Amino acid sequence: MGNFLSMLFTTDFFYSIFRISAPVLFATLGAVVVEKAGFANIGLEGMMMVSALFGSLSAYWSGSWLVGVLAAVLVGIFMGLFMGFFAFKLRTDVILTGIAVNMIGGGGTLFLVNVITNLTEGSAMASTTSLITQKLQIPTVEIPLLKSVPVLGPIFSGHSVLTYLAFFMVFCTWFMLYKTPLGLNIRSVGENPNAAASVGVSVSGIRYIAIAFSGAMAGFGGAFMSMYYSMGWSQDMVAGRGFIALAAQAMGNGEPLGSMLSALLFGFAQALGVKVSAVGVDSNLVSPIPYVVTILGLVVFALLARKRHRKKLVVK
Amino acid sequence: MTKKRSLLFSLVRSLCAIGIALLVATLLIFISAGGDSLGERLRTTGEALQQLLIGPLFRKSGAFNTKNFTDILAAMIPTIFTGLSVCVMFSANQFNMGVEGGCMLGAFVAAMCAVYVPMAAGLHPVFCVLMGAIVCGLMMLIPAVLKAKLNVSEMVSSLMLNYVILYIIKYFMNTYLSDKTKGSIQSYPFLDTAKIAPLVDNGSNLSVGFLVALVFVALTALFLYRTRWGYAIRMIGMNQSFAKYAGLPVAGTIILCQVVGGILAGLGGGIEMLGRYGTYNWGALPGYGWTGMTIAILAGNNPLFVPLAALFMAYLDKGCSLMSTYCGVPSQLISIIQAVIFLFFAAEQFLANYRQKLVVKSAREELAAREGGNGNG
Amino acid sequence: MADAKKVEWSDKETYAVEMKSISKIYPNGVAANQSVDLFVRKGEIHALMGENGAGKSTLMKMLFGMEQPTSGEISINGETVKFSSPNAAIAKGVGMVHQHFMLVPSLTVAENIVLGTAPTKKGLVIDRKKAVRITEEYAARFHLNVDPNARVMDIPVGMKQKVEILKALVRGAKILILDEPTAVLTSQETEELFRELTHLKTEGYTILFISHKLNEILEITDRMTVLRGGKSMGVYETKGITKAEISRLMVGRDVVLTVEKEKAQPGETILQVRNLEYTNEWGRKMLNGISFDLRAGEILGVAGVEGNGQKELVDMLFGLNQPDGGTAAVGGKSILGLSQKKLRQTGVSLVPEDRMLFGIAADASIEENLIADRVASKKYNRGSIFRMKAIRGDTKKLIADYAVLCRSGKQKVKMLSGGNIQKVVVAREFSNDPVFILADQPTRGIDVGATELIRKKLVELSRAGAAVLLVSADLNEVMELSDSLIVMYGGKIAAYFEDTAELNDKIMGEYMLGVQTQPPEETRKVCHD
Repeated sequence: MGNFLSMLFTTDFFYSIFRISAPVLFATLGAVVVEKAGFANIGLEGMMMVSALFGSLSAYWSGSWLVGVLAAVLVGIFMGLFMGFFAFKLRTDVILTGIAVNMIGGGGTLFLVNVITNLTEGSAMASTTSLITQKLQIPTVEIPLLKSVPVLGPIFSGHSVLTYLAFFMVFCTWFMLYKTPLGLNIRSVGENPNAAASVGVSVSGIRYIAIAFSGAMAGFGGAFMSMYYSMGWSQDMVAGRGFIALAAQAMGNGEPLGSMLSALLFGFAQALGVKVSAVGVDSNLVSPIPYVVTILGLVVFALLARKRHRKKLVVK
Repeated sequence: MTKKRSLLFSLVRSLCAIGIALLVATLLIFISAGGDSLGERLRTTGEALQQLLIGPLFRKSGAFNTKNFTDILAAMIPTIFTGLSVCVMFSANQFNMGVEGGCMLGAFVAAMCAVYVPMAAGLHPVFCVLMGAIVCGLMMLIPAVLKAKLNVSEMVSSLMLNYVILYIIKYFMNTYLSDKTKGSIQSYPFLDTAKIAPLVDNGSNLSVGFLVALVFVALTALFLYRTRWGYAIRMIGMNQSFAKYAGLPVAGTIILCQVVGGILAGLGGGIEMLGRYGTYNWGALPGYGWTGMTIAILAGNNPLFVPLAALFMAYLDKGCSLMSTYCGVPSQLISIIQAVIFLFFAAEQFLANYRQKLVVKSAREELAAREGGNGNG
Repeated sequence: MADAKKVEWSDKETYAVEMKSISKIYPNGVAANQSVDLFVRKGEIHALMGENGAGKSTLMKMLFGMEQPTSGEISINGETVKFSSPNAAIAKGVGMVHQHFMLVPSLTVAENIVLGTAPTKKGLVIDRKKAVRITEEYAARFHLNVDPNARVMDIPVGMKQKVEILKALVRGAKILILDEPTAVLTSQETEELFRELTHLKTEGYTILFISHKLNEILEITDRMTVLRGGKSMGVYETKGITKAEISRLMVGRDVVLTVEKEKAQPGETILQVRNLEYTNEWGRKMLNGISFDLRAGEILGVAGVEGNGQKELVDMLFGLNQPDGGTAAVGGKSILGLSQKKLRQTGVSLVPEDRMLFGIAADASIEENLIADRVASKKYNRGSIFRMKAIRGDTKKLIADYAVLCRSGKQKVKMLSGGNIQKVVVAREFSNDPVFILADQPTRGIDVGATELIRKKLVELSRAGAAVLLVSADLNEVMELSDSLIVMYGGKIAAYFEDTAELNDKIMGEYMLGVQTQPPEETRKVCHD
């Protein structure tokens, strides 16, 4: 057992937690901002799928990972505005809008990759894995001083640009929500849309911004998936991360920092799974671990919240 | 607004939504159609559209294609059940997405009973399917109880459960339950007693299950509109605060609707499995859950409209697969059509201006009638 | 109409606000306004009067861009405008103070005031100091005293209203719409508000004042427009018009809403409440040792300015919240913490204050709304299946008994008018042989006909032996309808009046505002033990 633990808790293991958490973290921040604006975006999963696809294709066409990432983000924003149009303009239930986006993300992407590659490459492909080469992978960065520090160096240095960006975005999101006029508007729209409307804050405008933001985050997450985590887009590659992000948002009480910790918990669970399957446990037994952890996390959070509520009553 | 005008509006709206979906489909077909010149492209598009819209029922010669027709009816079996399942859960505003996994679980459990539990011929399929339904209903207790007691989002937990179910079934199929003599991963063959009899003998998979599905349409409608439990489900869906205030058992009903939804999903999976296949070989989630959601939206959560919506979706699905066979348009086009229909059907404000005009007209007429009445009186 | 001076529109004058033949038909088919004309001079306080449901709020919502007229024309200072949103109205100098405060509770006063136009440092970070400074500046200039740093959830109602007015002024409003601003204020607060409004008037602001309180209108306004049933009854000079004339214009007949009732013969105690305590989530003590008895056959009124614990009391009695201490029992059995289902089995009925939220399912039919509390009854079920005949029969009867204006029981409740919706609620709540009826603002915001009917039914039920607790912010209603009444102030029972016959507004007002309080021996008398 001791042997197993020492094998488990290596610097490499902790490094992988951050790597695995990053795409979930992006999506989680998207979920946080949308929730602050008073609704839920369950289309994150589909948004990530679509932007992962277009990210990898654009990177291939342009020969530049950066163009790929930007394209993924733009596609994410476009999907956000598309959802917004239906949810806010045509008043389709925002949950149903999300389901529709997920349908596009599920089967629709496969249709698109078939059609697009048929047009550009001359043959219909079912994935873009053959198109993304090492050269197009999102680059990693060594952090000058940190990298030579033992233990911490191998854990915190040498991550991809987007991994660092993901954690930096936690701060940016917090700053935006609590320090800027935009954040004030977002929170007021979420808490009392009538109040916001009464002073001329455009409620739907703010909601469009929030969902476009979550689209951009899903775009980063998607790009991360198809251009760093895996090499290229393939079917079902996001594997529920968009949904896990919703859970992480709930577990983090809707706050950027707490949600980040929840996303890390998911990363931990999956990293653990990877390690366990390396010792020879069937991968089908290991794969559900993150999902089970997410459900358990939600339950624990709900129990804690209830306890806190009780305590408050007692103190009173 | 008068009843006639309401009906007219619903009809126009539905047709417009479907029309837009088909327009989008045409556009995508045109983009994906092969051909060098515009004329050639247009011709391919036309051909593909013909396959999509007419192909499912008529041969090129114009003759009615009975085989295709029974295939379409057969394809409706699982989706009628998942559609009903979603209707019940969405009626209470419970956005449980576990139909997908539930369907798979029901199919798996029914299949295992069909392989390992010998029984008399008439009883066997009933037993298998019921076992699948019960297990699936029990599984739905997880998101249901978590929602009712701890207010954990049933949407998130059920989505997570789908993955858990998928992998656990895959694990068993990879290890203890697979028929190692076969090249692909599949179970041992079902006992002959377990199979659900075909309804017509033309090589299609239209089984007696189709009739069972129709019976369940009636039962679900009866449940939702003529029992106190169904009533509670619908009231909670319309206004949960009101339901609580009126003394309806809110928590119990939230659990009940998801368990009933689970049972229906499990039934669909089991009946599909025993009516169509000889061994269990699903390696991925079947997708019937998502189609079920589209069907429920098309049917406006009314079970009585589910068969019609299921027919429509099965027809489109058949058309899409014909299109991919004969015209090279990828069959996943169905996902996009589905999404577009979904978006427009659920859009409250879609054609709202037209609706408002009808309302204004009705109100003006009513006012005029009232004033006229006063004048005479 | 001897002295009432009707004013006609003149095309020589440039009005601050001109609304010409405005009609509004809502998506549910309700015609809220029919060719209404309104013209308001610059620098006057103009009253918009009318009963609840006469279309005042709708008209003002159109002026503020929250709704768009179905037909008609709006001009501001002679310029024809089309307001697609409040933003457009604000840009033309129109500001509105809503009946229900439009504030974000978790933000501070200053944040609420600058919301949407928050000052920044370098265009990025909110400049909180500047926000506070702006608030203080405007507060001083217009004599509107507020605490810029307090969270809105912690401040009293009167201050919330000032925040609302400041919000409009900071945005450069020259035309202020006030939608029933005094409805939630004490009379001192009202006086203060009137001083502030008069001050604004002298500074050249135009004020549109919605109200149905005659005294206020006569006191503060220059002219008035009276609406009745969605139509305008004309514009009148306030000077020279009498209360009787106004009420005739508003109601169309001389309705004095007195209720004929025999003297109560109180029976045994039904509801016994002792020492209820409750502190809300922001630490304010909302119920502070509330004790009273309610007997069979009597109507006990609960009067008081809103926010003095009445809502909390109702919530406790109907299981929507749990008190920190104390007891409440119906027929000797504790009802605290019971589910609504159990409460109803005990014979408790509630006419909720918020009928759209708790009283009905708007998308369900009248029939479905009427059976909500009795779906499980033997009468309506044969085994598992509904007896539709019994349900339809009872529905028909209730619709007739309560004069619900509708096409049939199958009609969706949301298609009905407010008064008819409330009739549906009341029909259900009164028809289940209630032992104890909790009527929370039962006639708020509904038409005279429905009001009369509901009051009559309440009296009937109480004379037949039901115990009625009537919570109402409408002073006339509690005084007219109650046999005896208590006044709540600051979470306590400030006064108990065994007989309401001797009461007048003035005495009531003093207790409601905490100017006077009865000694505990007096209020203790409401516990008949």
